Amino acid sequence: MSVLAYLDPASGSLIAATVAGGMAGVGVAVKSMWRNRTARFRKSDPSGAPVNDQDTSEADVSVDSAVEYAAQDDI
Amino acid sequence: MPSNRDGVEPSSFRDPSGSVFYSEGRVLRCLDAKGAADWKALSATRFLPRMMSDGRVVHTSETSANDLPDLRNEPVAVLEHERIPFISYPYEWTFGMLRAAAILHLEVVLAALEEGFTTKDGYAFNIQFRGSAPVFIDIGSFEPVGAGGPWVGYRQFCQTMLYPLMVEAYLGIPFQRILRGHLEGIDTNEMRRMLGPLASLRKGVLKHVVIHDMLTAKVDTASQATRSSLATEGAGTEIAKASVSKLLAVVRSLSSPRAESVWADYRTTCSYTDEDTEAKTLFIESVLEELTPPLVFDLGCNDGRFSQQASVHAQQVVAVDFDPLVVDNFFRDMRETRSPQNVIPLVQDLTDPSPARGWRGRERKAFFDRERPDLVMALALVHHLSIGANIPLAEVVDFLASLTDDLIVEFVEPHDPMAQRLLSNKPEGTHDDYRTDLFEKLLEERCEIKASQRLPGGSRRLYHAKPRSRADDQ
Repeated sequence: MSVLAYLDPASGSLIAATVAGGMAGVGVAVKSMWRNRTARFRKSDPSGAPVNDQDTSEADVSVDSAVEYAAQDDI
Repeated sequence: MPSNRDGVEPSSFRDPSGSVFYSEGRVLRCLDAKGAADWKALSATRFLPRMMSDGRVVHTSETSANDLPDLRNEPVAVLEHERIPFISYPYEWTFGMLRAAAILHLEVVLAALEEGFTTKDGYAFNIQFRGSAPVFIDIGSFEPVGAGGPWVGYRQFCQTMLYPLMVEAYLGIPFQRILRGHLEGIDTNEMRRMLGPLASLRKGVLKHVVIHDMLTAKVDTASQATRSSLATEGAGTEIAKASVSKLLAVVRSLSSPRAESVWADYRTTCSYTDEDTEAKTLFIESVLEELTPPLVFDLGCNDGRFSQQASVHAQQVVAVDFDPLVVDNFFRDMRETRSPQNVIPLVQDLTDPSPARGWRGRERKAFFDRERPDLVMALALVHHLSIGANIPLAEVVDFLASLTDDLIVEFVEPHDPMAQRLLSNKPEGTHDDYRTDLFEKLLEERCEIKASQRLPGGSRRLYHAKPRSRADDQ
């Protein structure tokens, strides 16, 4: 079974439900959660070489912006 | 009317705090200590009795019973629920029915949140229909909000109610087959891919589909930790109320864009004369008056005219048709005219009826395994099954005779314009067995024919038949 099967998709939904409620500042919580995620990737790199997380960071910024937008507007 | 067999409801096993079971026709729910404490608090609220009295929540009271089923924990209390006359599932509902069910679910959650309660889930199966009126049945889903935070049923609500509605509203695709294939509904990522990037401009898509999917893919903290973090950030009950209110606005804005059905104007294009209709109505009336059948199935109900007629004599009528638009028109008519609440309209393709679904194939019963009707009406149906769906005439008669103790069946003769229309699509000779004499012979072999009549137009025959094995037993 895939490692992904152990992830709980409800977490993303809980944050999405909070965003849907229009809560300002929820992005802070979200950001900290996926920072943990990238940090764990860095720790788990077996070569010990620095991990280029540029792609992830860019994606984070786009999600972050989208979350902020969605939380603020009635869309 | 037959009742559910005694024993535990096969779909009621996931909630550790309680379990629904049947005893001598009663619908009961036993609760463990946590479930009983939640019920005690819940029964002291104002919204619950209010919503029970106006029919939006299933009527429930505390009772006692013997032979309680095994729970994971010791049972300490028993509730009795009002019995829903016929259990149906979201994949058998029309767009209008699923929308009405979704609105009710959100209204129930909002009312609960106002008094410090929420629901553990947002499952479409929490709703049943009493006629055209949705009713929230899952009393075990209520729990105190505790520390607050967003509505935990949000994801399930999106997957089983909001997304199927969006599929039909925004893509024009009927949702029934999708929901039938996926009891947990449509996954956020599947939904995002189905809608495509342009749909982000449609109401609710960016927030409830795109952002929802991005967050589902990105966030991998455990959900309990997420709840704590959000509570720390200040996401309390107000946030849950706001998100549910906004969901309600999205659901209310959705409508089905699908084109008029070929059956939607059936009554004006079919081959009946006024005399035919009058004679048919009188024939059916005489059988209904004689039998006063508790449960009637109207198979191929079309606009529901004869379902409504049956409802005057029956306790409950289940009216089915394969065309979701026709059934939706009937549903909307019933809502607008406030028809008696003993007719439930459902989408059902008789050549592929709802199968048993879910865990061990027991959670959701097959359509024809739920209740045995006392009377089946199959009016202008046989030619669709036999000619339209290529089912041998003998099979069709076997099927109808197997369903019930009494049958009203209308045979549209081969020279009738509607039968001719179907036959003209088929190679010559394909349906040589579609003959009035053969139909009568097959029916007589399987049933005692109590009455028959040819309609004045000369191309349709009605029969009141009692399937032979049952008739012989009496």
